[in-house]
Amino acid sequence: MSNADDRQLSGAKPARAPGRSFFADVRISLRRWLRKTSRNPFVTFFSLIQPVIFFVLMAEVFGAIADGSVAGAVGSDVHYITFLAPAIIIQSALAAAAVSGIGLVDDMETGMFAKTLVSPMDRGAMFLGKALSEVVRITVQTLIILVLGYLLLLGKGEATGTNYVETGIGGIVGIVLIAVVFGGVFMAYSNIVALLTRDREATIMIANLLTFPLLFVSSAFLPLDVLPGWIQTAAVYNPITYGVDGIRALMLGEDVMTILDVTAFSGLWNSVVPAVGVLLAFNVVLGAVAIHLLNRASRAEVQ
Amino acid sequence: MAQQSAEPIAQQTETKQGATAIVADNVHVTYADGTEAVTGVDLTVRDGEFFGFLGPNGAGKTTTIKALVTLLHPTAGRIRVHGHDTQNDPQAVRESVGYMAQETSVDEELTARENLQFVCELYGVPPEAREERIENLLELGGLTAVADKRAETYSGGMKKRLDAATALIHRPPVLFLDEPTTGLDPQARIEFWEYLRSLNDCGTTIFLTTQYLEEVDRLCDRLGIIQDGEILTTATPEALKKAVGGDILELTVPDDGQINRAAEAVREVETLREPTIEQQSGGLTVTAENIRDSVNDLFLTFHERGLTITGFDVRSPTLDDVFVQLTGQRPDAEESDTDEPGKTNQRVDTLEAAQ
Repeated sequence: MSNADDRQLSGAKPARAPGRSFFADVRISLRRWLRKTSRNPFVTFFSLIQPVIFFVLMAEVFGAIADGSVAGAVGSDVHYITFLAPAIIIQSALAAAAVSGIGLVDDMETGMFAKTLVSPMDRGAMFLGKALSEVVRITVQTLIILVLGYLLLLGKGEATGTNYVETGIGGIVGIVLIAVVFGGVFMAYSNIVALLTRDREATIMIANLLTFPLLFVSSAFLPLDVLPGWIQTAAVYNPITYGVDGIRALMLGEDVMTILDVTAFSGLWNSVVPAVGVLLAFNVVLGAVAIHLLNRASRAEVQ
Repeated sequence: MAQQSAEPIAQQTETKQGATAIVADNVHVTYADGTEAVTGVDLTVRDGEFFGFLGPNGAGKTTTIKALVTLLHPTAGRIRVHGHDTQNDPQAVRESVGYMAQETSVDEELTARENLQFVCELYGVPPEAREERIENLLELGGLTAVADKRAETYSGGMKKRLDAATALIHRPPVLFLDEPTTGLDPQARIEFWEYLRSLNDCGTTIFLTTQYLEEVDRLCDRLGIIQDGEILTTATPEALKKAVGGDILELTVPDDGQINRAAEAVREVETLREPTIEQQSGGLTVTAENIRDSVNDLFLTFHERGLTITGFDVRSPTLDDVFVQLTGQRPDAEESDTDEPGKTNQRVDTLEAAQ
């Protein structure tokens, strides 16, 4: 019995309205979720406001003392704002992704989940559309923070256009992609929590509890080698470290990763490739768990 | 198939004349926690039929309907809806049915119009047909004035009507409604009934669960009664009412001390054939086929025995009576689990004897 269900959800058997493609189903789902996101501008605004406040305050407070340790790790020509921008991008992606499960819980509570399951819509497309709406949000937030960082540098009289995103337009595309791949990890995580608890408040609380400490136990705010040993150890298992290092390498145009000593590639790729690899691995593992739980929930949409 | 939904409802089902809309064969549903919600449901609903599904809370109505619309997979047994197997071809079933869940299901962040648009997209309603259908259903649901306000601002009844509209907009040949009129005010309920009638007249098969016996009585061609996960009986409302065993006399006495004497008096009336007498606080309920012919004799006997009667009401059986006789409880009773099975069986025996 369960085999039949898994087949059906994974899309091996076409499951959609006649004459409609999988992508049409994705678009329908995406449109609904984007529309819902636009209905709550405050939610989007608040998931941006915390990273923005962090960005401004930390640039001011830590910037005053961190330049030395930053110079030691990545060179004296790097301003702390440039060093910090990747951390804030990751923080905002995390804030957006970590509440992904709320939409799912809400749909289950309002009956929209069952309503969609009874319809001919492809179930995989239904979830993919929802995930894509979060990808759109992460993309927009990432670009906003990149611009904000540039303005902050400008305010310091430091911006010259070449020492902010060293890798140019290609680098910005790469930064967005890494933010999205990183977001996928926590989208999966948030949906797992949502599916296990089936509770809106629990999903929000666990998301909030987790984000704050995880940020500090990583290379986000300071180079790892100036941090205590236990944090350096913990950072190895923290997806944030990989997201931040990947983006930072693209911003600075150099290899910044210290937790994994990869030399198989050249320059910044020694950071980007392992970072993306590790994040994809997190995606696969957590994504598989989330899909398994979704399958189970779709199969027995009761009490 | 895509162009199917553009055609009038009547044509959709025409090709299936004489076919069965729903066949459930020995369906069992056991939940993960071991609860056996449905234990052997057999059902056949003909194409174009209006079928009512009655049962107390917890009897398995919602579980059955969820299995019929592919939301739940039967632990055992087979289901075919509109000619398609729910397990082998759930997709074809989903394309053929509309489903309105017991809990109101609307996206409260979206407006009524957006909710309907979304469902049009879900079911692939042809774009050129959408606007007219949406306007018609908004009108029918009395939602035209608030069509562009978010559903979260609506009253419970408005949400319910919007939910109903989303179940109808793709004009499914088979419609499943799980307690659709619960929470509607009487006026809205009557309008909704009229609409369901007209849908059914156009050929839509309707499967409806309800706790309102009046609803089944007024709408349904046939009904099934379920309790403790099993179907007790299926028949037309008329046949079931007949099976209750004739007309019903509600007799009220001034104090409970007289109940026994009143019962004796009733038994003594020779013209009354095989009366069933139930005693309860305040009086008696007498069921017999020819009560109306024996009214004079009843009064005479009471008079001779010096009994005071404060209430005397002869009426035809309602589905309420059927329901009580079959299940041993009112349809709106809170719990069915506490009901000992022996009691139910005994009542079923009584019914069979009466038949």
